[in-house]
Amino acid sequence: MFKNYQRIKFSLLPGTLISLTLLTFAFVLFYTLYTSQENLVFTQIEPRVWLLLKFTVYQAFLSTLFSLVVGMLLAWSLAHQAKFRGRSWLVALFSSSLVLPTLIVVFGLITVLGRNGWVNQVSLYLFDYSFGAYLYGLGGILVAHVYLNASFASRSLLHSFESIPKEKYKLAKSLNFTTFQRFMYVEWPVLKPTLLSIASTIFLLCFTSFAIVLVLGGSPAYNTLEVAIYEAVKLDFDIAMALKLALIQLGLTTLLVVFSANFRTHISNLKTATQAIAWEEKREVKYLQRGIIFLFTLFFILPLFAIVVDGLGADFSKILQEKLFIKSFFTSMGLATLSSIITLLFAILLSDAKRNLSLRYRLEDLPFSKLFNIVLSFSGNLYLAIPSLIMGLGFFLLSQRYEAPLALWSTVALLTANVLMSLPFAQSVLAPAMQRTAQRYDRLVFSLNLTKIQRWVYVEYPYLKSSLGYVFALAFCFSLGDLGMIALFGSDEFSTLPWYLYQLMGSYRSSDASGVALILLVITLSAFIFLPKLFGGNHVKD
Amino acid sequence: MIKTIQLLLLLLLLSTTANASGTKPTLTIYTYDSFTASWGAAPKIKEAFEKLHYCNVKFVGVSSAIGALRKIQLEGKNTKADILLGLDTSIAQVANKTGLFAKHELNTSKLVLPVTYSDENFVPYDYSYFAFVYDEEKLKNPPLSLEALASMPKDFKIIMQDPRSSTVGLGLLLWVKSVYGTKAGEYWKKLSPHILTITKGWSEAYGLFLRGEADMVLSYTTSPAYHMIEEHKYNFKTANFPKGHYGQVEVAAILKSSKNQALAKKFLTFMHSETFANIIPTTNWAYPIVKTKKGLPTAFEKLNIPSKMLLIDGKEVERNRKKIVNEWLEALGR
Repeated sequence: MFKNYQRIKFSLLPGTLISLTLLTFAFVLFYTLYTSQENLVFTQIEPRVWLLLKFTVYQAFLSTLFSLVVGMLLAWSLAHQAKFRGRSWLVALFSSSLVLPTLIVVFGLITVLGRNGWVNQVSLYLFDYSFGAYLYGLGGILVAHVYLNASFASRSLLHSFESIPKEKYKLAKSLNFTTFQRFMYVEWPVLKPTLLSIASTIFLLCFTSFAIVLVLGGSPAYNTLEVAIYEAVKLDFDIAMALKLALIQLGLTTLLVVFSANFRTHISNLKTATQAIAWEEKREVKYLQRGIIFLFTLFFILPLFAIVVDGLGADFSKILQEKLFIKSFFTSMGLATLSSIITLLFAILLSDAKRNLSLRYRLEDLPFSKLFNIVLSFSGNLYLAIPSLIMGLGFFLLSQRYEAPLALWSTVALLTANVLMSLPFAQSVLAPAMQRTAQRYDRLVFSLNLTKIQRWVYVEYPYLKSSLGYVFALAFCFSLGDLGMIALFGSDEFSTLPWYLYQLMGSYRSSDASGVALILLVITLSAFIFLPKLFGGNHVKD
Repeated sequence: MIKTIQLLLLLLLLSTTANASGTKPTLTIYTYDSFTASWGAAPKIKEAFEKLHYCNVKFVGVSSAIGALRKIQLEGKNTKADILLGLDTSIAQVANKTGLFAKHELNTSKLVLPVTYSDENFVPYDYSYFAFVYDEEKLKNPPLSLEALASMPKDFKIIMQDPRSSTVGLGLLLWVKSVYGTKAGEYWKKLSPHILTITKGWSEAYGLFLRGEADMVLSYTTSPAYHMIEEHKYNFKTANFPKGHYGQVEVAAILKSSKNQALAKKFLTFMHSETFANIIPTTNWAYPIVKTKKGLPTAFEKLNIPSKMLLIDGKEVERNRKKIVNEWLEALGR
């Protein structure tokens, strides 16, 4: 025991320090928000705040419900249609929804589903009927949320489907189960825990949704708390109101996070065994499943296709010469690179510290190791409790208190937000992987007396490189596409690509906007595909 | 070694101070984005003013006028703005309360305005009337009063601007308030199903309207002049409401924190010159506040001139603005 302790103390220390730093940061943020409320009267909550709260919960509930239903149907269809061309390609594409900049999705959806969009134009031409302008308001918010979250849900659920032992299917088949019985007795029990955990994740994401509601909300009737905080700061300069809303929001998200404490995102880059389920579907069921896959693929691809088609018509020589574009481009790339490096480092150190506490022959038996483990996990998941706009408000108040160039404050604020945003995902990929390497190789490493560096070079890195590459790419894309914090700090001196795009969308220059949208899409997708290759990682089969 | 460093430092210091006194001063003006557009007033005004005075004029366009004010507030002492241009008399009091603006000390009594206005800090530079613009070819029977507007068929849609960011949107709120008084909330409830979307600024709203997203857009009686003069299109009209239209007198002021006070003052004076007055009608599409020899372009004769300019005093607006905006927010929130 003691010998092992000597070996691992250097893996415990950095992780603990990072965890402490993060928690201190959260504390400073709370403290700043709390001390900034001078004469805040909490007994007085205007009717508007209730309306905001009601709508925020309502849209999050509906978004979660629809996302789960659509995601479930899609996962079910994909699980039973395991043999068609391009299936693995399609699954990989759906998983990219996690990194697509929300603003891009909104842009594509408007092009396809807007009042003058493709669907309406085709329907006008064929049936002389237009669906009108349903995209502004609740309809648009729901469509965009389902677009982003249903594909995310389907990927996690597909994992669960594929983890069902094939013997169970054999047994069910021999008992002559109907499709419905098969679902109820074989599949549902396995799916239920996954479903609960992704439901809580999706609800949280929609509850704190910002960019989508900002662009598609269209009216104060469809504001979420996040957008109301933004408007209180940017439109009314009413810091007291913003604080009031922020504290309400903070209380609610903390409650939600506590209730869904078993938060696990179930994302991983490992391919599961796609062994086909030996069950020939009935004809009607087969057609239904193929229909679902086809429809969702269409729904998913059309907006992206629209961005490409629209974007190609833009005047790129003009866009690329625009000073603000060049500035935003370099700021975005710089921030994304920095924040993905920091995220990776933090995630490695946190996971490294964590695995000491969950392995029997390491420190799991220490009296406080469980609590310690929870603290470490929580500090990595801070972002879920503190939405970016609230963090932004905190930073904004700090920047008013302590004078420094605005560019410096903006950089620090954006970096912090981006790192915290990526950490939960990074941890959920890295922690289990690092746990496994320790389980597998600890004995060997300890008996060979490898140094820390040797251990990394010969043992950890070869095993982890695919996960590391995936986490790096994820953090890079998250940072690249984020429109949250920048909404408070953006100006013509400090701008990122999504902020620049948002500015363009609000002005006459709509063809420039489609060009910038295409550029952002291409950068994101190529980063997601090619960055993992930097780590020399192919998918390692577990 | 130390001596050489000292010498270098001295040289550096000298070169920077020499540079500072040698460079042209830059006058930075924050305003709304349609003013700075390539077809807007800013390019011509910049050219004319730079001809008169040795300086660079830099216009910074923000999506709305109130947005520009908030930008200055957010930037605090670090703001680069010398002048804020584009607020109107309704919101100027709110800006005055921030204490960020300096006295202009100009004589504004000779300006040609349909109403009298004088303020210590803000000076007018043009005026106009709010109105709903429509395409005559697509909308045959436009509503001719606020009441009729709210009673249109269900699929009739208008676009308005957010009164918290746009002076145009605030204008409509005050318009409704001055017509309906205590019943304004009820009016908004009735109108709300017809509001397609609410934009942050005028440009976005007008852009959506021109792309065919709505039947009418909140703009100015002078907007059709743009289509007549620039595009030779005569199908854009404004609906004339006989009870009068709410007016807008646009104003500008100097920041106390500006390092170019003298130059900024020269710019305010320039706003009352004939040169400026000749640029305004066909770039900012509003009425100038100085009579010029050239007079207004002929297309302006075809525009509706409202029988009366409704305008609530700025101080009263300042007192009630929060209440009026909240009434609107709650009415739309259902």
